[in-house]
Amino acid sequence: MQISDRQIDDFKTDRKDISPPLPVVLRLVPILFYCSIAVALILSSIFFLQFRIAIAKRDNHIAQTSSLVAQTQQSKNERAALEAQIKKATDIQNWVNGARPLQPLLVEITRSMGPKTSLLDLSLDRAVDDPGKILMAIKMGADSTKQLDLTMARISSMNYRAFSPSQTLGRGVLDYKATLVRKLPQNSPPDGQLESPQ
Amino acid sequence: MNNKHISCGIIALLILALVQLTLWAQNNRIKVQDEADKAQMAEDDASSQLLREQSQLSDLRRQSADLIEFLRIWQPYFLTIDNPQSAEVNMSMRVKDANLLSLSQRFETTPVKGNPSIPSSMKALLTFEDDYARLMNWLGQIEVQMPTIRTSNVRLSKGTRANDIRMDVALEQPMLTK
Repeated sequence: MQISDRQIDDFKTDRKDISPPLPVVLRLVPILFYCSIAVALILSSIFFLQFRIAIAKRDNHIAQTSSLVAQTQQSKNERAALEAQIKKATDIQNWVNGARPLQPLLVEITRSMGPKTSLLDLSLDRAVDDPGKILMAIKMGADSTKQLDLTMARISSMNYRAFSPSQTLGRGVLDYKATLVRKLPQNSPPDGQLESPQ
Repeated sequence: MNNKHISCGIIALLILALVQLTLWAQNNRIKVQDEADKAQMAEDDASSQLLREQSQLSDLRRQSADLIEFLRIWQPYFLTIDNPQSAEVNMSMRVKDANLLSLSQRFETTPVKGNPSIPSSMKALLTFEDDYARLMNWLGQIEVQMPTIRTSNVRLSKGTRANDIRMDVALEQPMLTK
């Protein structure tokens, strides 16, 4: 049986589901995809490494900071303790400054009295607000101030200076009042260094 | 739009997702690096603060060496008698041992102004009438043997007998806080 060409053509069914090819530009999309996978992997790996390094650095810095803060706090505590010691030392020094023995001064004053002079009354009072100052009051039986000059010289030899003196002489009795302040001897230790107790 | 277009769109979305993922990783890295930088700055600050603090401490130590040495020497003397009762007993025993003619003895605790480390003292108000030399020796011994004691006032006057003198003395024993 002979079939004509036209009839054969007629047997072909139309292939309507075959889509037209993509434009050339869109054919780059798969290439771009593979490239992006590669680039993403490389970059992400670099970023991850840097991320891990940064975390290690951060943790190290934080640990160092904590250690430094602890050391600073310890140093502050030591300083506070030292300041408390200094305060205590200063308070003790103030007390000791106002607690120098009075007996040598008493003895020196009484020894200064001449044979013709009688010591009627002698008092030494430390000032309440400044115990380093001594309020001295002497009442002696004397006709002149010679004895007083001698006594004051002996007091001066004990490294005391008299301030605000007042004296009255009448009927053979000499009243003398003054404030005594200790003057530092030339070979005394500098301020803040008191001598040790004997 | 056919299947090829849809595939292209999906692949484009995947590419976008990869880009986003990479950006997210970068942002995380930047964020952590910022934190590391801040931590480093904090460490530098803490380091400089520590140096400053240590410098101040060493300066203070150097400046206060004399005072601390003074405290080391003197503090034991202050801690020997640390309460008014023992101070009173100690003073009474010393008066009794000296065998002086004591006219009166009075003890009282008095506050000490402007001295937080020594808030109070035990004050002994004593009156004697005895030989001059004995009294002076006793007072001198007390002041030497108890260097922390403060003779706050002393008065010498004539005694009732010819060779005797009367001595009114106030001795303060400091009570150091521990």
